[in-house]
Amino acid sequence: MGRLVVEEERCTGCIGCMLACSLSKEGAFSLSLSRINVLRDEAVADFRPRVCVQCSEAPCIVVCPVNALSRDMQTGAIHLDQQSCSGCQECVDACPYDGVRFDDSRGLPLICDLCGGSPSCVEACRFPLSIRYEGGDKR
Amino acid sequence: MNTSYTGRWLVINLTSGEIIEEKVTPELIKVFLGGRGMGAKQLWDRIVVDTDPLGESNVLIFAPGVLSGTSAPCSGRTTLLAKGPSTGHYLKTNVGGHLGISLKMAGTDGLVFTGQAAQPVYFVVTPDRCRLEPARKLWGQGVRATTRALKEQYGQGAEIACIGPAGERQVLFASVMTSMYNAAARGGIGAVMGSKNLKAVVVDPANGRVNVTDPTGFAHAVQQARDALYNDSVAHDLHKFGTARDVDVLNELHLLPAFNFQRSQLSGEVRSLSGRTWSELGYLRRIVGCGACIYSCHRFTGIEQGPFTGTFSGGPEYETVAAFGSGCGVFDPEPVFAANALCNDLGLDTISTGNVIQWAMECVQRGILTSTDCDGIDLRFGAGDAVVKVVEKIGYREGIGDLLAEGVARAAKQVGRGSNQWAIEARGLEQSNVETRGAYSYALAFAVNPRGPDHLHSECLAEFGGTREGIQLIERIAGDEKYAIPNTEDKRAEIVRWHEDIYAISDALGICAFATTAAYSLHEALIVNLLKTATGIALDVEELMRAGKRIVTLERCFNLRAGLVPKKDDRLPWRIMHESQPDLPRGGEPITPERLKRMLSEYYRLHSWDKDGLPTEAVLHELDLSFTLPGLSEVGLQQM
Repeated sequence: MGRLVVEEERCTGCIGCMLACSLSKEGAFSLSLSRINVLRDEAVADFRPRVCVQCSEAPCIVVCPVNALSRDMQTGAIHLDQQSCSGCQECVDACPYDGVRFDDSRGLPLICDLCGGSPSCVEACRFPLSIRYEGGDKR
Repeated sequence: MNTSYTGRWLVINLTSGEIIEEKVTPELIKVFLGGRGMGAKQLWDRIVVDTDPLGESNVLIFAPGVLSGTSAPCSGRTTLLAKGPSTGHYLKTNVGGHLGISLKMAGTDGLVFTGQAAQPVYFVVTPDRCRLEPARKLWGQGVRATTRALKEQYGQGAEIACIGPAGERQVLFASVMTSMYNAAARGGIGAVMGSKNLKAVVVDPANGRVNVTDPTGFAHAVQQARDALYNDSVAHDLHKFGTARDVDVLNELHLLPAFNFQRSQLSGEVRSLSGRTWSELGYLRRIVGCGACIYSCHRFTGIEQGPFTGTFSGGPEYETVAAFGSGCGVFDPEPVFAANALCNDLGLDTISTGNVIQWAMECVQRGILTSTDCDGIDLRFGAGDAVVKVVEKIGYREGIGDLLAEGVARAAKQVGRGSNQWAIEARGLEQSNVETRGAYSYALAFAVNPRGPDHLHSECLAEFGGTREGIQLIERIAGDEKYAIPNTEDKRAEIVRWHEDIYAISDALGICAFATTAAYSLHEALIVNLLKTATGIALDVEELMRAGKRIVTLERCFNLRAGLVPKKDDRLPWRIMHESQPDLPRGGEPITPERLKRMLSEYYRLHSWDKDGLPTEAVLHELDLSFTLPGLSEVGLQQM
């Protein structure tokens, strides 16, 4: 099982990860639909990537009232069953890492699936290495 | 068909308050692409011959690149254009940060501001709406305070481009700042914005999106481009040390301007100015990337002790360090950081600000200006504190600052006594910081740059032969790697020609020129793939480069129509053309008028321009620029 590891202080705020993520998951570029979200305070150059880090005991799975979230045992990623999801946003509130965003237009949480084991955000972060993928076989 | 174009240009009449949405035809897009290319076309169409750069009839254009808003590496840049107040000629100035991505997400390929507002205003654009708002409370505020106030109102996700006090006072080298610390710096674009009473542009990307024609193909093209840059020999240094690493590089090459271009090589004292030392000296706080950049060469620096405690800002870049450091004979980095932070907050171009201060310092050195002339400030070379004080005076046009705020050409004219001979300018623009007497491609590129002498139209780093990519490129465009030496006339025109075309393409697509002309690995074939998969526009490499040539030629036409006289204006600063540089090997002869003329002749020939530097009618037809012919005839220019 792999997981994303974030080193905040290495983030340069380029948001290349957000652009790569939205292309990978949505087929278009969108800052609001990216699974990863970089909080930027440019005045003091403080950049904080927020993304699902695949907690071993994931609060989002625990709190989901309709069991729409589960873990993909092969990739380690959290899986969302869109059909079951009620859009209650309990998972958004439960995540201690601010790693779950919500898509208002579809009424669904944006859940990182690790791009099936080859996260596109990591590819965009090859120089700063603020986001790394560890512990999984890269596919 | 999905494409990275939004299809929407907004024309904002600041006099009437009317905002019009304009569609750009696919035919026009294919010819001028976007960004700088489409901006140049807009400028040609909207400016009349006698437009006063600071008057109502000038326009101010914001044009994000074709690929801005996508994940193409280093593609988030925006070109700002106007008729330039320092030169009276074409002005394009290109800026990073996050403005380009935000503009595209907000659903616009470009903004054109026309007219002049009666009272200070700012403009807000989102994917759904746009409007003008009063800016009385912001007028007078610095860039940091303005940005902060607007973000408080519109949210952290909003992107702010604004002017500071320098732009409000129409300092002729005022910048437009974005993402707080990124400057559209050169040529007085901020003075144009100030003349329009336009304090800021607020761009809220909100839920906006940017599409591409072939998402899978585009992702593949992006990955190829990333791989190329990751394997580039320069990109990693840019990431680790920023552009200010070049202080060491240029000094080793005897090309680091110092003491107002009286020197070009110094001993160990420059070390503390180099970006390589800032981490160990405790100044480096963060490595910062512009939107979509993969190697992130920008810095955030701060000072925690001593007289400049509390100074923090983005940068400084190499040019800033050379301008306020070696150029002013200041080798303590702290006043340099302080001057940089002030420029960023006042909205001043650091290159011109440092340049004009160096000129004043040389006037003091020669006894032409006294400390009384300088408001009691002892403005001698090496006086870091004095530099910082004068920067502030320039920003607010106080005392000596009011004279210097006119730029070095006008200041030298006013002071007289031969001081134009050490005014390092041509066409009215202060030159950027490379010793062109030892770098002939740079010299030629500076002489023909439509906005005046700097490196941001044709950055010919390859001529130094310092990297394998640079050497390979020289072999490709000049026929032999032996031409990868900077102090020869041979093949300089070929080198400049290639660089100015790829630079124009980079600006049109929103790609950082460091990726195409410093790192060099984002080469033409990769760009062709990115463009095709993002927009469906299928050009081959030759057609891509011809599109670059078209932009460069249109800019030339703009200047000819605006009154450019090639024999007089295709030139370099007096000192560069008439004095030797003793720090250069082999005597550092000047780029004499004869030497420059030989290089210019070859350059004109490669462009298919006539011997006087006018594009021929044939080449204008060939480049789809026939529409310029009536305008050129109007000012009495007859093509061959």
